[in-house]
Amino acid sequence: MKALSRLLTNRIFLRLLGLFLGGVLIWASLDKLRYPDRFADIVREYDMLPAGLVNAFALVMPWAEVVTGAALILGLWRRAAGLLSVALFAAFMVSIAQALLRGLEIECGCFDVSGMSASKAGWDLFARDAGLLLASALVWRRG
Amino acid sequence: MTGSEAQETTGATMEAQCPLCTLAARVPHVVRAAVLVALAVLVAPVTNQLNPLGIPWLLPASGRPGIPRVYERRLPEVKAAKARDLLHQGDVVFLDSRDEKDYKLDHVPGAVNVPMRDWERAWPKMRDNLPRERTYLLYCYGAKCGLSTRQAKRMLGLGYTHLVILEHGWAEWTKAGYETVLHPKGQEKKP
Repeated sequence: MKALSRLLTNRIFLRLLGLFLGGVLIWASLDKLRYPDRFADIVREYDMLPAGLVNAFALVMPWAEVVTGAALILGLWRRAAGLLSVALFAAFMVSIAQALLRGLEIECGCFDVSGMSASKAGWDLFARDAGLLLASALVWRRG
Repeated sequence: MTGSEAQETTGATMEAQCPLCTLAARVPHVVRAAVLVALAVLVAPVTNQLNPLGIPWLLPASGRPGIPRVYERRLPEVKAAKARDLLHQGDVVFLDSRDEKDYKLDHVPGAVNVPMRDWERAWPKMRDNLPRERTYLLYCYGAKCGLSTRQAKRMLGLGYTHLVILEHGWAEWTKAGYETVLHPKGQEKKP
């Protein structure tokens, strides 16, 4: 337990965690930046926003991932970026959960929006995002 | 010297050298996070403008999200009544973008199923039967469904030019009581 606690406060570990999260976020943004229309389609299918706001959200969200990811990788404003990362993963979890509870069968839109290897929004992805949220929370609180 | 003492010393040195750095260091994380979001909001319009698949920022409440500016005029929507006229004229091929299981339950008479969620498998099987010079009317589940639009965008990219989307899709068609495979004469209420 003590070893775990020491690991979770270790600066090198937290730095590596920040690098990993930053990489994940930037990787997740690439396809969305390239195909904003396809990402907007997926956002629309989550059915959480009025139609008039779907495009704007689909345009800003990937850039929020980029700036958060870049800040985490570069180590600039790391704790703020950790906080934003928590907010992003929490939003992803809420979106997936509401879609699953409403029985919507939709693509996740997490990494691939071009449909070549898209994954369905499911509880496995919810769990993955929960793990990433916990990692982000560590960077935010202790980074 | 402990880690926190070292940090404090570094902070004090920074304070002496750079008052702006000190000010920045005191800004709460929430404000910094908001600055990062603001940065995203500022950059997004620039890249969207440069992207050939850029989409309009704001839409009316009845607008169609996810349609690139260059495709807006090339993907017209028609209401169910107009779609039915087109069906009777017989010049238009109806494409059902819904899942195969739903297509098998019921569909517009003569419609061809190309399930968008199974595009990679379905399209190679179907494409030879779908000549580019024909006009296609695509539909999916309903107002919230983007499958037909997504399919139409794929087809535009593949050189199809005459594409029409059924507004509110299958839901509107059945609500209007028009003919389906299960109900060949339709269920339209007589006035």
